[in-house]
Amino acid sequence: MASKGKIRVLIAKPGLDGHDRGAKVIARALRDSGMEVIYTGLRQTPEDIVEAAIQEDVHFIGLSILSGAHTHIFPRVIDLLKERDAEDIKIIAGGIIPDEEIPKWNEMGIEAIFGPGSSTKDIIKYIHGKNIE
Amino acid sequence: MNKEHFLEKLKESDIRSVARLITLIENEDSLAESILKDIWKKTGKSYIIGITGPPGAGKSTIVDSLAKFLVEKGKSVAILAVDPTSPFSGGAVLGDRLRMSEAQSSGIFIRSVASRGHLGGLAATTRLLINAVELLGNDFTIVETVGAGQGDVEIVQISDTTIVVEVPGLGDEVQAQKAGILEIGDILVVNKSDRPGSDRLARELQMMISLGEEKDWKTPIISTTATTSEGIDNLWKEIETHQKYLGNEIFETKRLEKLKYELENQISQKLFTKKIIEIGDNEITKTSKAILHRKIDPFTAVDNIIKE
Repeated sequence: MASKGKIRVLIAKPGLDGHDRGAKVIARALRDSGMEVIYTGLRQTPEDIVEAAIQEDVHFIGLSILSGAHTHIFPRVIDLLKERDAEDIKIIAGGIIPDEEIPKWNEMGIEAIFGPGSSTKDIIKYIHGKNIE
Repeated sequence: MNKEHFLEKLKESDIRSVARLITLIENEDSLAESILKDIWKKTGKSYIIGITGPPGAGKSTIVDSLAKFLVEKGKSVAILAVDPTSPFSGGAVLGDRLRMSEAQSSGIFIRSVASRGHLGGLAATTRLLINAVELLGNDFTIVETVGAGQGDVEIVQISDTTIVVEVPGLGDEVQAQKAGILEIGDILVVNKSDRPGSDRLARELQMMISLGEEKDWKTPIISTTATTSEGIDNLWKEIETHQKYLGNEIFETKRLEKLKYELENQISQKLFTKKIIEIGDNEITKTSKAILHRKIDPFTAVDNIIKE
């Protein structure tokens, strides 16, 4: 069946900013490219996100952060995944992340960062390129 | 993946491994079958509560409140929430977790399941997914269907207690008379009971039930406002009453009936797949053409093929 081995992605919106339009647009675009997208909604803690990612057995966590809280949230999510022995789950991010910080985050374990103006096609292409199963 | 290690982890109720097993089952991976054979005796121990109803009726919110309520009573709960797969892309947005913040923060295992083209309100593999979840050792498994239409009654084939959620404002009393989803509820819930029309809906449902034939189990109607958890305690009381009503005897008879149904399905699926492969695409195309051009009727054609 064609249903074999769907790519599963958790889209999460950690922190306190309430603007989830971007997250919803991404969720829809990924769905339309054949992925199963778990959308968890606003104000998720890193603990919630990692627990959900494990229960849902996703390949990717997509974090959308617009508030600047990523400096706190990124390292926390990375650490929690390590603690849970779940480093194979890849983290991608979107939102407002200063360009000069991107290399640092990439090194720490955020696989890819898609800032404002990114095309959903690029994100889909990226995920399809990464996911080998 | 090392199967022995995987089995070991499953026996320890490791969440990551249970989640993995669910994925394998969903993907119809052959490893899943081999694992399920080994752990089969450990499954079947949770009480299964099925929740269904139209889209937007508040199923997820009720599941959330109910799960939290049960955890506070010292019971362990796991949730399977099914959402539809897009028939066009094969993808899905699974949004039930969005309404399950209480359950999430109580550490309850929640798994969002895409229907993957299966009709009837569930995913084809739902029953096996329940068995996988049961490795967590939970007392209750709550299964939420996709937003159901009138004919999506498959939930009754898997749950011990089936709850049908209705909301005011969806139609007149004739809707309540129609066959289908309303008939399968062991408990009917009128959610959003703070909305106008909810009392009338409850009365209409009551009327529908009283017009039906006498049964041993009298379907109760519960009013809830799930967003504030109002009525959830009453809902739980009715679930408990239903559980007591089933007792050991009816419980087992019902489960046996379901298993028979399931077994028949499995057998017909396997025979079907075997036969289709045996016949081959060429033969199917050839015969279809013959039917299309009216050289043969479909009934004779099928008989001929099966006899071969």
